[in-house]
Amino acid sequence: MKSLLAVVFVLGCASWLCSNAQAQEKPKVRVGSKSFTESVILGDLLYHLGNQAGADMEHLSELGGTQVLWKALVKGDIDAYVDYTGTIQELLSKLVEPGVEVRTEADMRAAMDKLDIVMTDRVGFNNTYALGMRDAIAEKLGITKISDLRGHPELKFGISDEFMERNDCWRQLPAKYRLPHKDVRTMDHNLAYRGLAHNSIQVTDLYTTDAEIEFYKLRVLEDDKGFFPTYYSVILMRKDLAKRAPKVAEAYLKLENAIDSKAMTGMTAKVRLDRLLEANVAAEFLNEKMNLSIPYQGIGPLAEWKRFLGRFTKTTLEHLFLVAVSLTLAIATAIPLGILSARNEAFGQTILAVVGVIQTLPSMAILVFMIPLFGLGAYPAIAALFFYSLLPIVRNTYAGLTQIPKATIESADVLGLGRRARLRLVELPLALPSILSGVKTAAVINVGTATIGAFIGAGGYGAPILTGIRLSSIPLILQGAVPAALLALIVQYGFSIVERRFVSPGLQSRL
Amino acid sequence: MFSLNNVSKSFGNLQVLKPTTVDFHTGESTVLIGPSGCGKSTLLRILVGLIDADAGTILFDGTPLTVQNIQQQRQRMGYVIQDGGLFPHLTARQNVGLLASHLGWDQAKVKARVEELAELTRLPRVALDRYPSQISGGQRQRVGIMRALMLDPAVMLLDEPMGALDPLVRFDLQEDLRKIFRTLGKTSIMVTHDMGEAAFFGDRVMMLGEGEVVQEGRLEELIQNPTNEYVARFINAQRIPQS
Repeated sequence: MKSLLAVVFVLGCASWLCSNAQAQEKPKVRVGSKSFTESVILGDLLYHLGNQAGADMEHLSELGGTQVLWKALVKGDIDAYVDYTGTIQELLSKLVEPGVEVRTEADMRAAMDKLDIVMTDRVGFNNTYALGMRDAIAEKLGITKISDLRGHPELKFGISDEFMERNDCWRQLPAKYRLPHKDVRTMDHNLAYRGLAHNSIQVTDLYTTDAEIEFYKLRVLEDDKGFFPTYYSVILMRKDLAKRAPKVAEAYLKLENAIDSKAMTGMTAKVRLDRLLEANVAAEFLNEKMNLSIPYQGIGPLAEWKRFLGRFTKTTLEHLFLVAVSLTLAIATAIPLGILSARNEAFGQTILAVVGVIQTLPSMAILVFMIPLFGLGAYPAIAALFFYSLLPIVRNTYAGLTQIPKATIESADVLGLGRRARLRLVELPLALPSILSGVKTAAVINVGTATIGAFIGAGGYGAPILTGIRLSSIPLILQGAVPAALLALIVQYGFSIVERRFVSPGLQSRL
Repeated sequence: MFSLNNVSKSFGNLQVLKPTTVDFHTGESTVLIGPSGCGKSTLLRILVGLIDADAGTILFDGTPLTVQNIQQQRQRMGYVIQDGGLFPHLTARQNVGLLASHLGWDQAKVKARVEELAELTRLPRVALDRYPSQISGGQRQRVGIMRALMLDPAVMLLDEPMGALDPLVRFDLQEDLRKIFRTLGKTSIMVTHDMGEAAFFGDRVMMLGEGEVVQEGRLEELIQNPTNEYVARFINAQRIPQS
């Protein structure tokens, strides 16, 4: 019996060593994608190819835009992603030394090389920006090209954030075409399609490979002055990938000139209109094109249900992690800051002003600032949530302490308690209702704000919301929004219990 | 007990206490009396170190009071203010025992002492485990007195302790308080503007006016030989019910 156990033990150790050795051999490769369907499919293509090339792959999908992906690539948090020449040109214009021209793809490749990034040849398709309208309305107004818009100043524009801010898009476009339109607002690209359908806007920016063009029966307006740059897709990957995982880097080069516009639009349509999974669409393309045999993810109600449960568990754990860590750090920092503020008026005013200003910073901006420091994933999100949680706690601690009547403080002093004992035995217990309500406010805001973590790969309930918006899927949006709302209620209720438990009954009538 | 030498205090341009030299004797109960703003509360608050004097020295039992030793010395003083100055988050029992517990007294000893004091101040037992907001004004005042007596202080300092009480409650409490002080042989200094209270408590009365001690002595002396018009007017201003 003993010898049998020994054999089992030795075998166990051996298999553990083997699996460990295998895991060490397998290079870890991370790829990213932006939060639109084409990018997610391209990310999945990179994921499958990497897997086939023997790497331990991870796809950080639906990150919050070019800046997030670019910073993550430079920092090494991702190894590769697909971007577009027009975007890259815009990106590089701010990074190269003054005087250096970045016009051709060769220029871009050279500039990227200096930054230790490999830019591949074109993947094949050109997905440029365009302006689009519903065909019926364009027909009625006689609009076929962008210049025609000039005669219709009453039209409402709904354009994406990035389109609004880019030099090669909205910043220059109205001047180039002398467009008179005043009602121009930014909105999510996917919501803009819905806006068009409901006629709350009439013109939006499009990507020329969008599957919705056909679905919503849109007319792509001719760029008659040749304003928009070309947007050929290329893979950007870190130079060190070729050393770390040469087979993966090699496999990615196989995508050069492999996908034309028709193929890309077809894949996007399968996801957006036929509701297939991105991973399966990408697998199907590779299996046919490159004779691979990538397994498909299960379909049907049972697989759907399993995915739902898996996603729910995963996002809940991620969300709780973000909230718990950031809130704990914020409490540990903000209460001492509040105490110091109450002790010293000048310091207090400064601290309150600083945490107040932090509160006004847009969350996306804080997230992007955090990437160079913390990379992608939970840590930058925790940092951002930490900053947002400070104000309510600092302010309520300060208010709770400064509102204690002077006579009460004097009573403690005259008793001979000393400052530290006075704080611990008298001031903090008296300020506790106020401090707790500050923590409660911070926690509820935190639960809601943590959904932005999805923009930088931190997961949480924001992830299904983001995917839901992208795929116009209300059930998916609800899979994020409903648990987030419930969690906020639970947190609120939890703190009421804490209040009842820890606040002195002598103060409860004041709550 | 206290020996003041040229102690003075100004708030901005207003001199609330002119240079004052007085002694408070051990075992004696002194009443500081005078109209509002005469400096009587300021004097008391200087003694417990809530206000720092601008000039002069204060000896407490022969030791000069300083910023460094005031916290230590305060534990030998019992201070009572209007409405007791209780901590609203603590029960009566916890209020009374707070400092003793903080100083590391054994809990059984704290409990015994609190109950002894409840007996002495005739506080009903049930009130001990209630919060200040749940007991009457008179009971709050008794708890305040218990808290001041907890460490058996060398001196009791009372700043208009009965100010917020209705006449009946006040009457009972005055009786009890005098009995307690007599029983314990406590040195006490009380601030009031009520002549009746001063007469009831004070072995010695110190009348203040506009920041200085105008006259001191036994109350009868003040009534019979007021040193000036001010003292006479203050004494005569007390209304006695006409039959």
